[in-house]
Amino acid sequence: MRVSEIDLVSPSSVDKCLYMLRDHDKTFRLLAGGTDAIVQMKDGKRIPDIWINIKNLTELRYIREEKEGIHIGPLTTHTDIVKSELLQKKADVLVGASMEVGAIQLQNMGTVGGNIGTASPAGDTIPALFVLDAQIELSSFNEKRTIPINEFFTGPGKTVQKQNEMITNIIIQPQSENEIGIFEKLGPRKAQSISIVNVAITLRMGSNPRECLEGKIAFGSVGPTIIRSKKCEKMLALGPLDDTAIQDIAGAAWKEVMPISDVRASAKYRRSMASALLERGLYRLMNRWDAR
Amino acid sequence: MKTFHFKVNGEEVSVTCPPTKTLLDVLRDQLDLTGSKECCGKGECGSCTILLGGDSVCSCLVLAGQTENVSITTVEGIGLTTKMDVVQQAFSDEGATQCGYCTPGFIVTARSFLNSIDYIPTDDEVKTALGGNLCRCTGYTKIIKAVQTAAQIQQAEKAPS
Repeated sequence: MRVSEIDLVSPSSVDKCLYMLRDHDKTFRLLAGGTDAIVQMKDGKRIPDIWINIKNLTELRYIREEKEGIHIGPLTTHTDIVKSELLQKKADVLVGASMEVGAIQLQNMGTVGGNIGTASPAGDTIPALFVLDAQIELSSFNEKRTIPINEFFTGPGKTVQKQNEMITNIIIQPQSENEIGIFEKLGPRKAQSISIVNVAITLRMGSNPRECLEGKIAFGSVGPTIIRSKKCEKMLALGPLDDTAIQDIAGAAWKEVMPISDVRASAKYRRSMASALLERGLYRLMNRWDAR
Repeated sequence: MKTFHFKVNGEEVSVTCPPTKTLLDVLRDQLDLTGSKECCGKGECGSCTILLGGDSVCSCLVLAGQTENVSITTVEGIGLTTKMDVVQQAFSDEGATQCGYCTPGFIVTARSFLNSIDYIPTDDEVKTALGGNLCRCTGYTKIIKAVQTAAQIQQAEKAPS
């Protein structure tokens, strides 16, 4: 099929969009920011019969705090996230991750729902959503279901989302007063690059100097999906996070990741860099905490 | 083939084309606005940058079918040779262009950046703002200088005399 033969429709509401997705005779793909989908189309990959352009569904573009967490609409752009005062205060790890997505142009276009739906192992917002315990709401015409983010991805580019479903809400748990977070990324260049390794960290700090009560660490781009580093997380609460403790924790990350070699980097390099990024992230977080 | 209506540089236009034709191709082939350039076609180089509703985006990744009722500014809308914008004048004065292929993208991104600030940015701030644009000739020093010069002129023009 030629690209020029693909049709494109723009439903005016989420309900109309879900109604279209019921049709099983044609293949559909949802088109949000287009920063991945259009590139794939140009490469001749995953070409649908019809694009469903949802970019203009403003009802899915919001950031608001509610009882059970902060609700983020899937069509919220990375720029929206970076500029949100609420997220700067209560989800700094996600703001940090969104700032690292491509450069300004791609942050203006790309959406957080698109980043989740594309399910690239290198997707920058995904590790941040992991440490914020995100819940993904999937809707079809008749049903709604909510999936915890750690059960959402099944492999590179693969998720539990069905052909007739779309992401309609993302709920994250806000960071409390004594919680700090950071996102660290290594790419071939500073802007517009795809991650070689990335890591999202949140720490809940105690009242003693550098006392960490618990923490979450999620690595991206070093496995088929995001890897929560449970072993390193356990080590965070063993004692004050001084330089030796940080080095020990970073050292353990080496065994926790399962990278592959590809065009961007070798598996060995990725392993070393996973440790290095975790170490850098923890140092930076501690410096920030000490300065408070 | 479908027909789409949108605004380019303040003028209403309608274009008939396949909905999957990129906005960049529509601008260049059908509207004869050849300032925006195609280079990587993947959103990595920024030479096709335009303003879509005021935000800088890569026009190679926007489809014609997504443009219904939107408002677009291309480099031609920022200024023409006869009446150059301060950013364009500064690029010219500072010699911030060599082969010129990336320049329209830089001008649009720089314009959008300067629209959002009212001070003279540091080198690092300019580098972050222009991080999505690649130039393979000049080495960026003059480009960064040109953006700062433009900011200076913009500030001087705004200041009450």
